Amino acid sequence: MRSSRLCRLLAGASFGILALWGASSANAADELNALVWCDHSDPNLLQPFEEANGVKVNVKEFEGTGAGLAIVEQSQPGDWDVMVIDSIDVRRGVDRGLFAELPEDKLPFADLFPEVRMDDMTTICVKRYGITEKFGYNTIGFNKAKVDPNDMQSLAVLTNEKYKGRVAIYDYYLPVIGLAAMSIGKKTSDITEADLPAIKEVLLKMKANAKAVTDVVSSQTALATGEADVLVGGGEWVSAVIAKENPDLDFSVPAEGAILWSQSLAMFKDSKNPELALKFIQYVLSPEGQARLATSACYWGMPANTKAALNDEQKTILRFAEQPDFLKRAQPYPAPSEELDKKMQDVWTEMIQAQ
Amino acid sequence: MSLTGRQPIAAWASVSPALLWTLAFFAVPFAAMGVASLLPKGDAGLSLANYTQFFTNPSYWRSLTNSLEVTLIVTAISVLLAYPFAWILAFGVPERWQRLALMLAVLPFWTSYVVRSYSWLLVLAEKGIINDTLLGIGLLSEPIQIANTRAATVIGFVHFFVMLLTLTIFANLKQLSPNYRKAAADLGAGPVRSFIHVILPLTLPGIMVGAFLTFVLAIGDYITPQILGGNNELLMPQLIMMQIGRRGDFASASALSIILMLVVTIAYLLCARWLKIERA
Amino acid sequence: MMARIISTLYAAAIYGFIFLPVAVLVLFSFQGTLFPIPPFNGPSLRWYTAVLNDARLTDGLVNSLFVAVTTSAVATLLGFLSAWGFARFHLPASALLRGLITLPLTVSYLIIGMGLLIFFNWLGMPKSLIAAGIGHVVINLPLCFAIIYSQMGEHQANIERAARDLGAKEWQVLALITAPMLWPALFASFFLSMTFSWDEFVIAFLLTRFDTTLPVEIWNLLRAGLNPKTNAVGSLVFGVSIVLAIVFELVAFRKRPQ
Repeated sequence: MRSSRLCRLLAGASFGILALWGASSANAADELNALVWCDHSDPNLLQPFEEANGVKVNVKEFEGTGAGLAIVEQSQPGDWDVMVIDSIDVRRGVDRGLFAELPEDKLPFADLFPEVRMDDMTTICVKRYGITEKFGYNTIGFNKAKVDPNDMQSLAVLTNEKYKGRVAIYDYYLPVIGLAAMSIGKKTSDITEADLPAIKEVLLKMKANAKAVTDVVSSQTALATGEADVLVGGGEWVSAVIAKENPDLDFSVPAEGAILWSQSLAMFKDSKNPELALKFIQYVLSPEGQARLATSACYWGMPANTKAALNDEQKTILRFAEQPDFLKRAQPYPAPSEELDKKMQDVWTEMIQAQ
Repeated sequence: MSLTGRQPIAAWASVSPALLWTLAFFAVPFAAMGVASLLPKGDAGLSLANYTQFFTNPSYWRSLTNSLEVTLIVTAISVLLAYPFAWILAFGVPERWQRLALMLAVLPFWTSYVVRSYSWLLVLAEKGIINDTLLGIGLLSEPIQIANTRAATVIGFVHFFVMLLTLTIFANLKQLSPNYRKAAADLGAGPVRSFIHVILPLTLPGIMVGAFLTFVLAIGDYITPQILGGNNELLMPQLIMMQIGRRGDFASASALSIILMLVVTIAYLLCARWLKIERA
Repeated sequence: MMARIISTLYAAAIYGFIFLPVAVLVLFSFQGTLFPIPPFNGPSLRWYTAVLNDARLTDGLVNSLFVAVTTSAVATLLGFLSAWGFARFHLPASALLRGLITLPLTVSYLIIGMGLLIFFNWLGMPKSLIAAGIGHVVINLPLCFAIIYSQMGEHQANIERAARDLGAKEWQVLALITAPMLWPALFASFFLSMTFSWDEFVIAFLLTRFDTTLPVEIWNLLRAGLNPKTNAVGSLVFGVSIVLAIVFELVAFRKRPQ
């Protein structure tokens, strides 16, 4: 009978699939669950660690601390072992009782670039909860074959009508609001609710100039495919990874300064695998791990460890030598209270909806 | 004729699994969501804050109007494109090729929705196929921006729903007895009159079901506007996902979802005439 | 004659529109360089090798198949049983209950997924493929129910009654008489459910953690870097579905039901 033959076909297929599925998931031995930005998913980074320790690293990616913390909120205790979190937000994790203390003596704090050690952010009440692993800039990324690089040396380009319709805005409210604030002479650490209307003005002007508001990948695509020639909030993280394919992509750190992004690694207090978690953090901070992290598939960035094992070509692309100069002009992300954070997100939503 | 009273146990046994599943995994979660929407994040206790926020914040309100505009446009265009196509497949193609023709028409369903949307993004990009072709044949002197706009979102939606509606309208047309057309022709009606006064009204319920399905699926879709719209405007699903993704604010997301549900319910009531599930 | 030309042109145009992204997809899966946009530098098989070596993608593929097959089977079974129950018996509040079963059709997947997320969080149930599977049954059950219920007719009831008179037990009637009679509707329900579950993104995205379905893996892949790997995956899936369609055509339709 037709239907019974069909039934047998389907049953056979289901058993086959069940068997395959069972086989593939049976190999999960010791596992590390990591909540990360997309640059940590690169097998190039994870494989050496996995092989050396005979474990599997499971990663879940997010963009933006708010999103990462939202994922933690939706999880059960013990679901996660390590997290990549913006250095400036380590405090938020500690306030929620999420992170475990990191042993000072087991991690190479002394080898880090002094400006990105961020002791004041990663140490709370004398205890250290996070270690900076990678940093870079949210500044102006651009295609130097299509625009005048001189225009890119000042934050005034944010609202310059000359580039109307050729600008993309990176879809992360914190650094872009920071850039907007800096363009009107405000320091990111001094932003209050009273400044929001002026910042909103700048944002709306930017949106009027812009073609799209894009996430990490869409930003890279937009610059690479020529949809946009200027990326507000762009930086080496956008241009370096596609430097080989398109050497015209570059970034500038304007005279007024740029926003410094810095990622830290933190360990969860209720991690099921604290020793493995620490080993992972040690690996990422080692010269070998740092080099792989700095050049990882999703986006490149400066390694926090000065001893990172980068070759000369990579160092040139990342502008290793110019870093001290950049770091002088860079300001960290705004670190708003929950109240102000919500208001900033509202301003951001308004900007997106503006016609 | 039904077997009243005879073996009611069999009756309840057969319907309870479906009913229980729907109750446990649809009705109860929905109620949980309703409760969650009344407990705003950060506040203590019940409050309508999330709802009032929707009506007082213009960018929230705007996402609903955006959603309605886009969805209605998409539904209209998809129906208008799919109906003639389904007609051609049902009546223009020889019987033995019809199933093949239909399968071909819906085959792209089977490439991943996410990947297909990104493909549209690249097709519509400034350096993509469409612009290249139009520039090449001289219709344009400069590339036009289609990607990352509402037009791209509409195109992405229409692509999906033309396939879906072709399927549903085809099924509808096929089950229409050819006697109706013959009778109309016998009574002297030309093909156009036969269509307007006989076929169209008979197939209208089928069209309305398809249109309603399109409306519901489109207004609730997150992927297409997110990939193709370039964040130049926000539609409701994007706004809802923002609440969950960036803020972990389930209360706000729940309230927005309930508002979206209300809109769909209103749409349902307007179309209720055509949407009864009838038996053969 | 004119009508023929116009309709052929129209059909060709629509087919062209439908296949355009797929054609571009497949073409650029053979792209030699990093970005799946013109100019085309190739052909190269590097992305196909990359996909087959990418454990996350192949795992996602298997997971998707598993979830699609099992949830479609469950949805079709529940839909069939309930459609039969409502069609053959006069149950109290029948219209209301039928409305309840079909209600999820009008609710966006995002909302269903969110409701389940909130509910499962509250229960302390972790995110997993099972959680996503439950959601998929919720979205497909009303569809299966509606399709099968609309095909339940009097002539079938008569045959069932005859079988019962001949001594068949209730479950035998269902399995050996009703189901085969309704096989087009059952097949359509299963097929449609498979299609919707296979490609479903939002519910899988919200309710899975590490073991996830193909659409979510592709989404993750795309967040990590736009590259033709996704084209290769899409093309592979497309290729497999064509093969499946041919297989079904030969197996299920060899004798045309009249």
